[in-house]
Amino acid sequence: MASPHRSGGDSMNDRSDVIGAVSGPGDNPNEFLFVTPEDQAVKTGEFITYTVTVEGESRDVFARVTNREQIRGLPDTFLADPAVAPETIAATLGVPHDDTDLYQLTAMVIGYYDTMMSTFANPRQLPQTGTPLRIAPAEQLEAVLPNLGVDSTTADVTERDGLAHTGWLLNRPTGEVNIRMPIDEFASTHLAILASTGSGKSYTGGVLIEEMMLPSSRAALLIFDPHGEYDTLSEMQTHSAFEGDDGYQPDVVYFDEDRLRIRISELELGDIMAILDNPSDRMQERLAGGWRAMQNKDSRTWGVDELVEQMYTMYGEDDSSVGGLEWRLRRSIQRNELFQPEANVPLDEIVAAGQCTVLNMETLDSRNQQLIATVLLRRIYRERLNAMRGRESDIECPVFALFEEGHRFAPGSGSAPSIGILRTITSEGRKFGFGIGIISQRPSKIDQDVLSQCGTQITMKIRNPTDQEAIKKSVEAAGEDVLRELPGLTPGQAVLSGDAMNTPALVQIRKRLTDHGAGSLSATEQWSETYDRQQSQPVRSEPADFGGGESTGFEEL
Amino acid sequence: MTIETQPEDTHVDNCLALGSIVSSNSHLDYTVEIYKETDRERAPQIDEREFGQPVFIQKSVSGEPYLVMGVIYNTQLVDPDQGRTGPRLAQSDQGQFTPGYIEERTTLAGVALLGTARVTEDGLLTDPSHELPRWTLEVDDIVCQCPDELTKTFHMNDEGGLQFAYADRILNVGGPLGSDVLLSIIGRLRSMIADTDKNQRVLDVVEQNITWQAHTDRGVIR
Repeated sequence: MASPHRSGGDSMNDRSDVIGAVSGPGDNPNEFLFVTPEDQAVKTGEFITYTVTVEGESRDVFARVTNREQIRGLPDTFLADPAVAPETIAATLGVPHDDTDLYQLTAMVIGYYDTMMSTFANPRQLPQTGTPLRIAPAEQLEAVLPNLGVDSTTADVTERDGLAHTGWLLNRPTGEVNIRMPIDEFASTHLAILASTGSGKSYTGGVLIEEMMLPSSRAALLIFDPHGEYDTLSEMQTHSAFEGDDGYQPDVVYFDEDRLRIRISELELGDIMAILDNPSDRMQERLAGGWRAMQNKDSRTWGVDELVEQMYTMYGEDDSSVGGLEWRLRRSIQRNELFQPEANVPLDEIVAAGQCTVLNMETLDSRNQQLIATVLLRRIYRERLNAMRGRESDIECPVFALFEEGHRFAPGSGSAPSIGILRTITSEGRKFGFGIGIISQRPSKIDQDVLSQCGTQITMKIRNPTDQEAIKKSVEAAGEDVLRELPGLTPGQAVLSGDAMNTPALVQIRKRLTDHGAGSLSATEQWSETYDRQQSQPVRSEPADFGGGESTGFEEL
Repeated sequence: MTIETQPEDTHVDNCLALGSIVSSNSHLDYTVEIYKETDRERAPQIDEREFGQPVFIQKSVSGEPYLVMGVIYNTQLVDPDQGRTGPRLAQSDQGQFTPGYIEERTTLAGVALLGTARVTEDGLLTDPSHELPRWTLEVDDIVCQCPDELTKTFHMNDEGGLQFAYADRILNVGGPLGSDVLLSIIGRLRSMIADTDKNQRVLDVVEQNITWQAHTDRGVIR
C-alpha cells in the first residue's frame, strides 16, 4: 500500500480542500497531469495551486488547467439506446457507476508570485507525483493575476486607486474573483480590444471608459467614434457612482461634425497628396515647393487661395501643372467644409483631465475621419512632446485616445494618412504620456506594427481564422491556450492578456453603469411598428416617423 | 416410456431435480451428474437440463434455508466404453454386447454459481444477491431446475430493474461459452417479461454489448 505521506510535504490532516493529486509530468516542460474524481468539477481555465520549496522557502505555485480527459467512465457501448440511461445498463451488469468517473487534467505551470520582481517566476520544477492540488484562493488571484505590483500575495487590492475593474474570472461564481487592471499600465503601453461584431467590444470599451472616468482616475480621454455609439456616456455626468468627494463629476463633451474642422496649414504635404486626385509627378513637385514656402511663412491661417497664389508666383501664371493643381485643390479641399483656413479644433477644449471627449464622426466619410484623426493626433503628440520637454504646451496631462473601428485609422493594407502618426505614437507615445486604444472586429485588417505595439489586449469571441492568425502573429501574450478559447467565448466574455496582466485570464466583463448605445437594431420590431403606423395614417404622402431609435441615420431614410 | 409433464410448480421443494454434484473445479464451478431413468422416477428431459438452464441448490446455513443459484454452462458425455478397440462380442441379434457398464454411461453438466437467495416460508425466492456465494457445496447435493418465476425474481433488483451483476464472473468461469450462457439467460428473461416492459430495451443494449464483445473476442469483428 502506498504510504500516506507521499511527496509534496503535505500531511493527511488537512486535505478537505484538495481537489486532486499530481499524477506525473505532461508533454510539455511546463505541463503536469493530475487526476480528479467526478465530484470535483474542475473546469478548464481554472487556477489551481500547489506548494513547493524554492530556495528554502515554501511557495504557492499557480497553474492553469488547460485540458480535461476522462480516464475512467462507463463505456460508450452502454449508450447504444438513447432511451436507456447508461447507468441503468451499468446497474444491470453490476458495473459500479456511482462516483466512479475519473478525470485526468492537464495543467500549465504559471509560476509562483515573486514579490521582488512583482510578477510570476517559473520554479522550473514540476510538482512530484502525489502533490496535493487546491483551487487558488480568490483574494490571492485578485492580487496576482493583474499586473498590480503587489508586494505580497495576500495584499488587499479592493480599495486601490487607479485600477479598472473590468470583470471577474469566468470560471468562478459572479463577482468572486474580480479582475482590476492597472489603468496606468494599459494607458501608457496601449490597448487593443479585438472581437467580432456583437461580442461586446464597444461594451467593453464603455466599461473601461467608465473606470477611467471614476473619481479615483479622472482621465483625459478622447474617443474617435465613427458610429456615434458612445452617446450614452453623458449619463456619467449625473450618475452618482462618478461623484467625487470633492465635487468631481466627469465632463463628457461631444464634438459633432460641424465642430470638427481641420486648419489647412496643419496638414502635411503627404496628407494633401493623399487627398488629391492622381497628381502627376510635376504637380507633386510644384505642390511640394508651394507647400514648403507657405509653411515657412509666419501666418498659420492661409487657405487654398493663398497656396495657389504662392505657386503661381513661384512657377509662373501660365504653368499648366499649377493650373491642374489649382483645380484639384479647389475640388478636394476648398469644397470640403472640413478644411478651413482658420478654424481648428481647440486642443484645450477636447483634452482635459476628468473630461471624456467623444468625436462623433458618424457623418464623415472614412477619408475625412482619417484626416481628422491624423491632424488631431499629430497636434496632441506635438503638445505632449513639448510638455515632456518642459516647453510650453496646451496639454499638461497624459492623454488616452480610443479608436472605435480601429482598422479604419490604421488599416493593414491600402493607405491611410493616419497610419504614420499611429505607428509613431504606439511605438513612442509611452514616453510622452500618450496612450492609444484600438477597438476592432478585424484584427487581420489592422496594421501589424500598430497592433503589435498594443501592450494590453482584451480579446473576445473571434471565429474568423484569418483574424485569429493575425492575433497570433502580432499579440505576444496570446499563447496557444488563449487562442484556443477565442471561438468558444460568448458575448461579454474576454481574454485579458498583456502588460496589464501577469498572466492571461478568462474574464466575464462587468455590467456597464451607463446604458449601452450600440446594440443592434431590432429590424422586425421596427418594421411592424412602422407598418402599423402607416396603416393608421390615411395620407400616404406624409413622411414616416421612425421614432427616436438610439441608433444612427434614421432621419435620412 | 411416457413421462407426464407436471405443471410448473414454483415451490422450491417441488422443483425438478436434475442431478447431483459429483465434483468441483473451483469455488464457483461444479460438476453435476444428470439423473437417468434408473436414478429417479422422473428423470429430467433433454430440454430440462439444457445449456443455459438456471438451477439452484438448497442449502441450510445456520438453520436458515438458502438457495445457491447457478446455471448450466457446459455439458459432457462420459462413456467408459469409448475408445475400446478390442474384439466386439456383439451378435447380429443383439445390438450391443453390454456386460454391465452400459449403465455407467452418463451425462455430466458444468454448473457455475451465480449468487444466493433466501427462501420464504411459502417456498419462494427472496433477497436475491449476485455476490459471490461464500458457502461451498458438497458432493451429492441435489441440483434442481429453477423455474422461470424464480429465475425472474432472482434477476430483479429493488428498483424493479434487471440485474446480471454476476456477469463478469460468469464470463470468466464460462470461458469460451461464457457469453453464450449470458445470452441464453437474457433470452429466457426476455420471454418472461412483457414486450412493452422498459427492461426489454435494457436487455437489448446488454445483449448487443455481450454479442459484440463475443464477436470481437472470437475474431469475427476486428
